[in-house]
Amino acid sequence: MITNKQSTGIRGLDKMLHGGLVPGRAYIVSGPPGSGKTILSSQFLVDGVEGGERVLFVALEEPPNELKYNFRVFGWPIDGIEVLDANSDIRRFEPTPILEISTEEEPVRFSLIRDEIRKTPDVESHEVSVHSLQQLLKSLFIKRGYSRVVIDSMTALRYFCMKDFEENISTQSFMRFLAESKVTTLLTVETTEAMEMAPEAFLARGEIRLYRVRDESGIKRFISIEKYKGSTHDESIRPFDITPKGIVVHAG
Amino acid sequence: MLRGGLIPRRPYVISGASGTGKTILAMQFIVDGLKRGEPCMWVSLDEPPNELKANMATFGWNLDHLKILDATPDIRMHKRTRSVIDVGTTLDVRDMEEVKGIRVSQQLRSMEVSIHSVQKMLKQEFFQHRERTKENYQRMAIDSLTALKMFSLVGVDSRIMIQSFMRFLSELEATCIIVSEHLDTSVIETEFFLARGKMRLHKWLDGSSIRRAISIEKMRGSGFDDKMRPLTIGPNGVTVDPSGRVPLNTTVVHALGSQFLKTRIAEQVTVSIEKAFEMAEQCRHQGHDISHVQMDLTRAMLMIQMGQLHDAMDMVERVRLGMELLLKPKSEAPLPPPPPEEARGI
Repeated sequence: MITNKQSTGIRGLDKMLHGGLVPGRAYIVSGPPGSGKTILSSQFLVDGVEGGERVLFVALEEPPNELKYNFRVFGWPIDGIEVLDANSDIRRFEPTPILEISTEEEPVRFSLIRDEIRKTPDVESHEVSVHSLQQLLKSLFIKRGYSRVVIDSMTALRYFCMKDFEENISTQSFMRFLAESKVTTLLTVETTEAMEMAPEAFLARGEIRLYRVRDESGIKRFISIEKYKGSTHDESIRPFDITPKGIVVHAG
Repeated sequence: MLRGGLIPRRPYVISGASGTGKTILAMQFIVDGLKRGEPCMWVSLDEPPNELKANMATFGWNLDHLKILDATPDIRMHKRTRSVIDVGTTLDVRDMEEVKGIRVSQQLRSMEVSIHSVQKMLKQEFFQHRERTKENYQRMAIDSLTALKMFSLVGVDSRIMIQSFMRFLSELEATCIIVSEHLDTSVIETEFFLARGKMRLHKWLDGSSIRRAISIEKMRGSGFDDKMRPLTIGPNGVTVDPSGRVPLNTTVVHALGSQFLKTRIAEQVTVSIEKAFEMAEQCRHQGHDISHVQMDLTRAMLMIQMGQLHDAMDMVERVRLGMELLLKPKSEAPLPPPPPEEARGI
């Protein structure tokens, strides 16, 4: 029996997880586009910041300036969240020096993120590979001692950063790396309307799944715990809403 | 529906089957910019500009000052010996008013289009435009990315090429609308995945007339109207009725493609109902009157069949909660034989 669970920052979800997440493990947050994956994971980080923890957001999908803008509506204290801009630059078609992300990028607090997008420099271009990201994270985990990390998204990492690698093996190795790092990690994974299971799900210690169904009264959102190793959990699907304060799960 | 409009300087996607009004909607967005005196750019990858011009003439919009980039590929040369030039080397941006007939493929060389070349052309044009006018393009439409993907990008790297292209569009800092068709819903298309918002157009047959609707599927950084709204194409362009209702019958639901999720949730609710029936059995053993419970559960099952999953779930939860209260005293005093007609339940 594991005591000391870590809150997700969403009360209803904690209830579904019978107390929260087992710390030091990697979990998947899966769902179709627009289901609320990024919001859910950010709320997990906000909860950490509020408890005085050091937390990291790895942005692979959206530039940090836009994330900052998007989070404004929720009024969260995001300034303390550190964000690593792992968006690749525009690719070059001519041979130019390519900088690996590990030599270049450093996470900065959201308070320091500017309003404009980072421009690709004219003479060099910076690429993100799973290998370099892993190395960078490794040294960051040692140096900065994060207690919560969000990788948004695993799908982008898989799609865009594994050019010269075998995708499944790289994913597996990346998950292994996270397990060894003992940091509680949420990985967002995009699913399609017809996909039965996210390919990463069976490697993770747990999967929180989001659903988005359209009916006559609009979009309905649901959440379920599909898998949770080492803990009991709520087995039914629960409705949730994205409110001006973030996600609220109606866990009965 | 968008609570005021689009957040500027980001790329968005309009998807939908052919004939739903994607191009018209994108053009209307551009026309609005032109009316405000904003520099706008149209990248034509599908339709030759002369046809676009003719098609849009019916709406009576003034497109004279719209910059149009003709990136439609030439007739392919089948003989390898002829030189193929990249479209990027012949910058073909002109005002709409200068558009005359179709550009005829030349005898000796033919133009091919690649993402790379479109990117190069756009970059050049944005730069030159800024030099000339000290202004940035504010709005841009790309019609359509599907063409580019299908004909110019074959192979594993296409995802990365599109990612890079999306990054390129973000860095241009114009509000950009990309027209794209969602051909296979089981595949995550890179542009949908990376776009900051997605609007989807729908079309279905209602009796003998075509009905159209629009829905916002995703909009980062802003709340939005999550209902489907009727859309009509009239002589002045596209009109959306922001308070109109779209009845969701099976045809429409199918067009939405969320069948799988519906099934999945229906399964879950069914499981909940089964559990509720077990609880009801327990209650019956203990001598509680549960006829209303059985009626409610039957009603919930009917709701599932009618597709009202949310209501069904609410109903089941309420019933289960009620029964939990009935069963509670049992756990406090674990008496195996069912107690006789005590005034425990009502």
